Amino acid sequence: MKRKINKILIANRGVTAVRIMHTCRDRKIPTTAVYSTPDRLAHHVFMADSAIHIGEAPPVESYLNMEKMIAAAIQTNSDAIHPGWGFLAENDRFARMVQDAGLVWIGPPPEVIQSLGDKIQAKHLAQKANVPTIPGIINVTSADQIKKWMKNQKVEFPIMIKAVAGGGGKGMVKVNSKNELTQAFAQAQSEALKAFGDERVLVEKYLERGRHIEVQVVADEYGNVIHLYERECTIQRRNQKIIEEAPSPSIDDDLRNEICFTATRLMREIGYTTAGTVEFLFDSTTQKYYFLEVNTRLQVEHGITELITGVDIVGIMIDVAMGRKLPFKQNDIHPNRWALEVRLNAEDPKTFSPSFGTITRLQVPQGPGVRLASGVYEGADIPPYYDSLFLLLISAGADRADAIRVMDRALGRNLRVEGVKTLAPLLLSIIRHPKFIAGEFSTRFLEEHMDELVSMFGEKNSEDEILKIARYVAEISALGPQSWM
Amino acid sequence: MDVRDRKKMARDSNSIFVKPGMTPKEIVKAVRSLKGVCFTSVGMRDAGQSDFKNRHRIYDLKTLAPFYNAMGLFSAECHGGARWHVGVMNRKESPFEEIDILRQLMPNVLLQTLIRETNMWGYRPYPKNVIEHVVSVVDIDVWRCFSFLNDVRNMRTVAEVVMKRGKLFEPAISFTMADWATNQYYLCVVKDIVDLCGGTDEMIFCVKDMAGVGSITRVKSLIDAIQQKYPELVIHYHRHITDGLAMPAMLAAAQAGAKIFDVEEDSLARFYGHSPILGVEAYFKEAGVPVNLNREEAEKAVLKVREWINFYDWAESPFKGFDHNVIFHKMPGGAFPSSFEQADKGGFLNLMPAVLKVMSMYNKIIHYFDVTPGSQITWVTCSGIVNKYAKAKGEAGVRHLIELLSGFIEEKALDFQAMNSDEQEELLTLFGNAPGDFRNLILGHYGKLPMGWPPEWVYRSTFGEEWKKKIKERIELSPLDSMADDDLEKMRQELAEAIGRNPMEEEFILYLMHPKDAIAMIEFREKYGDAPLVLPTDVWRQGLKKHGDKVDFELWAKPYSIELVSVGAEHEGVVHVVMRVNNKTRVYTVETPRAKKSEIRMAKGFHEVGAPINGNIWRIGNPQRGTLKVGDIIHKGEEIANLEAMKMENAIMAPFDGQINEVCVKLNSFVVEGQLLFVLEKAKL
Repeated sequence: MKRKINKILIANRGVTAVRIMHTCRDRKIPTTAVYSTPDRLAHHVFMADSAIHIGEAPPVESYLNMEKMIAAAIQTNSDAIHPGWGFLAENDRFARMVQDAGLVWIGPPPEVIQSLGDKIQAKHLAQKANVPTIPGIINVTSADQIKKWMKNQKVEFPIMIKAVAGGGGKGMVKVNSKNELTQAFAQAQSEALKAFGDERVLVEKYLERGRHIEVQVVADEYGNVIHLYERECTIQRRNQKIIEEAPSPSIDDDLRNEICFTATRLMREIGYTTAGTVEFLFDSTTQKYYFLEVNTRLQVEHGITELITGVDIVGIMIDVAMGRKLPFKQNDIHPNRWALEVRLNAEDPKTFSPSFGTITRLQVPQGPGVRLASGVYEGADIPPYYDSLFLLLISAGADRADAIRVMDRALGRNLRVEGVKTLAPLLLSIIRHPKFIAGEFSTRFLEEHMDELVSMFGEKNSEDEILKIARYVAEISALGPQSWM
Repeated sequence: MDVRDRKKMARDSNSIFVKPGMTPKEIVKAVRSLKGVCFTSVGMRDAGQSDFKNRHRIYDLKTLAPFYNAMGLFSAECHGGARWHVGVMNRKESPFEEIDILRQLMPNVLLQTLIRETNMWGYRPYPKNVIEHVVSVVDIDVWRCFSFLNDVRNMRTVAEVVMKRGKLFEPAISFTMADWATNQYYLCVVKDIVDLCGGTDEMIFCVKDMAGVGSITRVKSLIDAIQQKYPELVIHYHRHITDGLAMPAMLAAAQAGAKIFDVEEDSLARFYGHSPILGVEAYFKEAGVPVNLNREEAEKAVLKVREWINFYDWAESPFKGFDHNVIFHKMPGGAFPSSFEQADKGGFLNLMPAVLKVMSMYNKIIHYFDVTPGSQITWVTCSGIVNKYAKAKGEAGVRHLIELLSGFIEEKALDFQAMNSDEQEELLTLFGNAPGDFRNLILGHYGKLPMGWPPEWVYRSTFGEEWKKKIKERIELSPLDSMADDDLEKMRQELAEAIGRNPMEEEFILYLMHPKDAIAMIEFREKYGDAPLVLPTDVWRQGLKKHGDKVDFELWAKPYSIELVSVGAEHEGVVHVVMRVNNKTRVYTVETPRAKKSEIRMAKGFHEVGAPINGNIWRIGNPQRGTLKVGDIIHKGEEIANLEAMKMENAIMAPFDGQINEVCVKLNSFVVEGQLLFVLEKAKL
């Protein structure tokens, strides 16, 4: 069914909103930005053609407030809503509300979101489609139940407790020993309730040294399901990805084709439409892969797939939402680049403690092979209420070494952020680490190498040093000679 | 290369006769074979210490280095003494940085330090292992070492390490004019020194007249006596100009055989420092004493000083002019300006004449040499006594004190029993408030006093009823033999904890000498980087004054410019300063002393629990036990609070079995990383 889209409200903020607006601009579709009170002067607000205030700082009052979001769309004459990632992106109730309000929902059908959003149902669907899944139990209500299952199935620690409604690394707790079990179980339930309003958890065997590989799929409502190859997202901190690359350096072409085909088969059976991602955990020692979950939304790391395939995934989502057919076939997709993405989070690179405040200086990298999406501008604030990601930096090259080289230049020479701490020193250490360069890593890479990575943090640079001197001059100019002199 | 350059090079290489890398033996030989005498320039250390409270910055001093490099000096004294402490405390420069800079700019010049035997560059006696460690890592060619007690035993460790490293050891005798300080006494000290050094071929010997009190005939007689007994001994004469008689005394020393003399740029010479280099050269030459000096380069250095010396007016001693009375009170050049500064700050500048008078009598009662740390002990003790009398009885009291002491010394010839009982009673209160260092001194903690222990009544006065016990506790050994080693690894760990990272070796050495000030300096440099090294002195001291003022400099081989746009008005203790840093506008928020401080208590030490990251404390206690409060018993590994950040929970565990002494955070409050959450008390085993 053909649908018209004249104006898109982007129900998101920061990097996410900015990225979607890039494509809207390309397509000459006007956009509406939404903002909470502290985001009034945020970057995405000025990128849009119009902007509307939707509430106070806490996400439940603004970016998670469905009624206000719909009202905002209607008020600004927007006829479609793109949820981006995070916030309302995988909320089937919101998707339904959008459609019920007569607006176009730029995302998969609500019922698909619902069934895949429930980890237990998703696991069933995968098993039905013959996709391998990780051994585990569902409907867990007590720590004793976990102990029993471990005994019966001869499962050893560590294990993983996950929120059934979870995603994005939240509500996931790794348990290393029996002693931790009770407390970890309580923590997972509590986090799950807080983050997702649903305290159900499931338990799975934890695959030591696993790798995270995911397949990008796009589908239209005419049954065309096409994959755009895989991404490797193994480098994570606290179960959240910080470096992604495409293609995966962990698998050969045979396995690549198998995983991508498996993902396409699953999505076809589900009846998926628009862009989505099938995530797998890959055990490199046994060369086995296991279904993790389906992300029913645009992923943060979609950009690296765009760079290697030349496809605009946000554009495809808009096309599919308008009822168009996919403009290409599987045979047309030929990745011919290697791309690497790092996530610039406003965090302490040693402790990952969030760092809020004003970005007093922002010099973004340029030069061949660099793409970036920035959620901020120089002078903007990073408020404490939301995700700490503020800039996505992607490099591309003819091969992996080339992409790493470009990223090294961008992170090491060009990028400069003042006012908040960022992960940049850590990211640079990672891409310079011999094991990363050799492609030898697991999801535990950071835990295993953190001390070494921190010791690789750059020496002092003259730009930082000159600012210290300038601060001295400023203080003495204002205060005059000091008694300690 | 044109003819002029060639000539200049020839001249330079003629005057340069010693260089770093030569062995002590080669250096001694080179000095002996000089036709006349040579100079040590103290322009980079003692000149500043004597008249400018050590405030001369390496930024300015280094401008002299290219001239020194071609001047044909014996050495440049650029390190040690109080320059160390003031560098760390006030200039915020490290002596290690200074050596690095000077090594690059004057590779021909022997760098010289001044070290106080067991006290090194700090103010307490250090045990042997600290001395060994510190001396072995400092890159200095000539080690002038003195003891304020002339207790040569105390020099042993420094001598051993310096000589083992192949560097030149220059032991000094502290010199003063007193009836007890005879040639015979000094010759005994020289003998100890020559024995310590295993002869006279690999060392240079120094006479340190630090107060500038030697009369011309006295100096001539002493040098002559030493030279007669040790004809091969190379003698270095160090003499301040406080009494106004330095140059004739130096000539007398030269004629008696001394080979090396301390001088400074004429433009640096003031009242307490050293004689002017060009003046001394001219005076010696006229008297027929050849001087090894490239005068042209020395003249350039003298001119160079004028470019920056006026930036230090503020640091000059408040007490100006020569003082021949130094021969009585004997306050050394280096201590003069800082004493007056302290008197000024302490509000008793008017009492200074009385303090100096009391000092001149004190040194007749207790015999040692007025040089660090002795001069500080004298100063603190005497100014304390005078202040005590002034507070109690005003000017009349001070007059009474002086009468009492002069009666005791002059009329009763220091015979305590000859005083009447009231006077005895009063003398027995004299040292009641004496500082700890004075007490340590007379208990032998610094070494043996040159003329033996002070009279008994001094102990009664100092220690009251305990005096007999204290006399029994006197230590006859050198501190080198009586002090237990320090635990260096433990001290390194203390510093690491204080600065939150592993210290560099050089930072650790600073910490060993001046613990509190070294930490403050390290923190300063982390905040303000290389500001002390790259900013010109007017900007360092005053900042930029008005719109458009700017400062240009290089940092790490790239040019930088800082230009002032405006300084805003103060509002609630905050001023905004707008500057252009390499053309980019930046706004700095500067807190004035009136700023409101919201202090956050941070966790320190093992019994305090801090927040692991920034976040919200949403639970104090755990679900099993509920809320925890003060007095509750906790068990190692038990969750005692939970912190939420970015929708992730972080359990905070008890680090050991114990009890909660204090809960320092309110429920649902935002805390920063490291903020104190709990004070615990460890359970007793």
